[in-house]
Amino acid sequence: MAGKIMNKKHFLNHVAGQLGRERIMDTVERPEWKHQPQWNVLKDASQDELVDILKEQCKSIHTEVLETNKEQLSSTIQDMIKDNGGGQVVTWDDPRFQDFQVNLETQEDLNIHVWDPRLGDENIRITEQANLGITFSDITLAESGTVVLFSDAGKGRSVSLLPSTYIAIIPKNTIVPRMTQAAEMIEEKVANGEQVASCVNFISGPSNSADIEMNLIVGVHGPIKATYIIVDD
Amino acid sequence: MKVSLFITCLSDIFYGDVGKDTVELLEKLGCDIDFPEAQTCCGQPAYNSGYVSDARKSMKHMIEVFEHADYVVTPSGSCATMFTEYPNVFKGDPKWEDRAIALADKTYELTQFIVHVLQTEDVGAAYHAKATYHTSCHMSRLLNEREAPLKLLEQVEGLELVSLPNAHDCCGFGGTFSVKMPEISEQMVAEKAKHVDEANADILIGADCGCLMNIGGRISRENKPVKVMHIASILNRQG
Amino acid sequence: MSMKIGAEKFDERVQEGLSDTFMRGAVSSAQTRFRNGRLNAAEELGGWEEWRNLGEEIRTHTLENIDYYLDLLSEKVAERGGHVYFAQTAEEANNYITNVVKKKEAKKIAKSKSMVSEEIGLNDALKDIGAEVVETDLGEWILQNDDVDPPSHIVTPALHKNREQIREVFHDKLGYSKTDKPEELALFAREKLREEFLDADIGITGCNFAVADTGTVTLVTNEGNARMVTSLPDTQITVMGMERVAPTWNDMEVLVSLLTRAAVGQKLTSYITSLTGVKEEDDVDGPEEFHLVIVDNGRSKILGTEFQSALHCIRCAACINVCPVYRHIGGHAYGSIYPGPIGAVLTPLLGGYEDHKELPYASSLCGACTEACPVKIPLHELLIRHREKIVEEKGEAPVFENISMKAFGMGTASPTMYNIGTKLAPKVMKPMVKDEVISKGVGPLKSWTTARDFPAPGKQRFRDWYKKRQREES
Repeated sequence: MAGKIMNKKHFLNHVAGQLGRERIMDTVERPEWKHQPQWNVLKDASQDELVDILKEQCKSIHTEVLETNKEQLSSTIQDMIKDNGGGQVVTWDDPRFQDFQVNLETQEDLNIHVWDPRLGDENIRITEQANLGITFSDITLAESGTVVLFSDAGKGRSVSLLPSTYIAIIPKNTIVPRMTQAAEMIEEKVANGEQVASCVNFISGPSNSADIEMNLIVGVHGPIKATYIIVDD
Repeated sequence: MKVSLFITCLSDIFYGDVGKDTVELLEKLGCDIDFPEAQTCCGQPAYNSGYVSDARKSMKHMIEVFEHADYVVTPSGSCATMFTEYPNVFKGDPKWEDRAIALADKTYELTQFIVHVLQTEDVGAAYHAKATYHTSCHMSRLLNEREAPLKLLEQVEGLELVSLPNAHDCCGFGGTFSVKMPEISEQMVAEKAKHVDEANADILIGADCGCLMNIGGRISRENKPVKVMHIASILNRQG
Repeated sequence: MSMKIGAEKFDERVQEGLSDTFMRGAVSSAQTRFRNGRLNAAEELGGWEEWRNLGEEIRTHTLENIDYYLDLLSEKVAERGGHVYFAQTAEEANNYITNVVKKKEAKKIAKSKSMVSEEIGLNDALKDIGAEVVETDLGEWILQNDDVDPPSHIVTPALHKNREQIREVFHDKLGYSKTDKPEELALFAREKLREEFLDADIGITGCNFAVADTGTVTLVTNEGNARMVTSLPDTQITVMGMERVAPTWNDMEVLVSLLTRAAVGQKLTSYITSLTGVKEEDDVDGPEEFHLVIVDNGRSKILGTEFQSALHCIRCAACINVCPVYRHIGGHAYGSIYPGPIGAVLTPLLGGYEDHKELPYASSLCGACTEACPVKIPLHELLIRHREKIVEEKGEAPVFENISMKAFGMGTASPTMYNIGTKLAPKVMKPMVKDEVISKGVGPLKSWTTARDFPAPGKQRFRDWYKKRQREES
């Protein structure tokens, strides 16, 4: 259902008046910017070089990086869970777990909750108590060590936020140079008539703060620890 | 090459030696000096205080005074900056804008002129001392000249250059700022003097009499032994 | 709180700042870290000047067409089920928001950091209707618990407080019993605030950038609190200054890249969260109801004036982090939630000269701010424009200054007058000269010589020497 827009005409007419003209009623063509340095960043980097850049950046954002392949992924994740003390684990309901032959639910020694829209707020209650949250990365930005997550029914926002430890699975082919490419992909989707997800999160490592005497504290409201698993696909 | 000298008020009244050194240095480098006697002030004190119409009066006068010049050279990064601002001040003024642009285009701060126009970096000077250099704000940020003075100083025989901690910080002069906000200005100049002290140099060199008057005044008040000198006086010292 | 903070006069606030040794030490070391971080980040990125040019281009175009982009933004938000309210004044914004709160019968509101909400005094308005508001940014939470101490920096609001003071606040107000280690203090905040997030009926956020072509609000944070307040409560209210709009995701991306580097030297902050409308039908978390409040509150007055570029500001605080005046007097001395150079430019525009006329003078015009600004706002020049307005339009300059500047105008426009004046200088000053310098000046020299010596005028002016030399040569 469409929302309401209130007080617009009066407000915008006034704004236009201040600019000394009538309201713009036609489409404004956004000009081609004269300066576009963003496209030059890591322009010529190969996919392997992007992996190296991503790994290097993760060192400065307090994020552990593991590398594995499709065959090993399932056991890598299980090891990760055990290394982090096990406990409640929450994952997205994401077909990529199947694609990568990761089947955590069948493991009896693991306590896995898969995000399930039918359960409503129960998901949040479980996730809030969880030790680990696991998601795939939809787009990965090498420069900033960022995983980009698009929300969806099975892809709850809370999975990467509420648990103490966050694990992102990064298929190697999701890695692009920087945020520029991610923004462009989103604009292309929109141009093709798709809707942008209600929540797009660009996550770079664990939560942190420097609000107390400029000391970096890792782990404030979001996860205290973040690990990326890069999967060679 | 004929060079018209814009001496600046501070140098005219308080720092005559800087003017003398500038004249001798430029002559040594083969320039013919022209000193238009009708020159006064660039107008910056009034302009920066918001008295723009009063400032315009002196600006117009200065445009006229230097209209005949091929090059205008001044031993002050700050006053040179003011000249280069004239086109903005007279933007849209049919009578004055073009003339303001002409003046801005031919104006150079002294070291800028030597390095970029005369294409000289070694002026044959010698000065045996350990020195540190104060990068004045207007010269480095607004005139965008950071390299020229250092290039020249590096060639001075016997001069050992040491870096000044927090060199990028303003000394707190700011023209009328120093009398309008004296408590804040005091803290800034005290901090600058402390950094000069930490540089552990015999002399502090600068390219703006305003900053040097401010920092020098503080160093003198603190009875510190550091000597404060304008770059023209260093470059004019014979080898 | 509103934009204006404190009731003391400017001079008193400055004195208070200058005598706060801890604050000055904290600000000074923070500035060094911020500055180095920004410079390193810019160098690592490469082509920083090109990035600044791009930032300036985007902001200039957006502000010139701001009515169009705000219109588009509002349409897109509405398409995705969000309500948009255009508020011309702080009062209108507060009324709208408090009405939403009343209608929802909300008791608890969790809020992530928002300067514009401070500016319009939103927390007070909410308190007046009996709602409980919890600030969830760590710095803001500290200040809120310290009897609403105002922020002194737009990125790290509690910069002026040390860990002992913070411990004390937590101890006295919240029963905290551990040490003043930042990690322990933060863990305490995590536990306390986690309850608040889960409990809150409404989440309120600010907005770093709003993408017009998809109706997307983007929040730039590190702590994760903005994600909490937009994921857990059923209702989300976002308050944005009307200039925060960006045409597309591509532009938002550039502005975010500039912001995070210029603000804290990070390539990106831990969380960049881009939110569009209400949650989807099958989504579990995210708001069912979303309100975007677009605030003017004096901004439109700046449009079409020589100050328009002040609206390009992306609130990174780079200018604050390099300002030597801010370093010595601290944020509170500015008497505004917007301190430093951008505060000195913006505050008088939004709040009038009456209350803030000293701010444009609180600068040595060193240009460090202009050089640091990632979107190339000519901050020091705008300060001069303010001074010009105060002097020439408002006629509010001090009498003595006025007379001396008139004299300056006359003296420097006429060589004869200049000649007389400069010749007189040594005579006028002579009684004050001792050992070649003036250590105790009178008149305008008095304040100068409190802190430093003034040179005695030369015995001979340069021009007299030059004339004599020429005569001798010929």
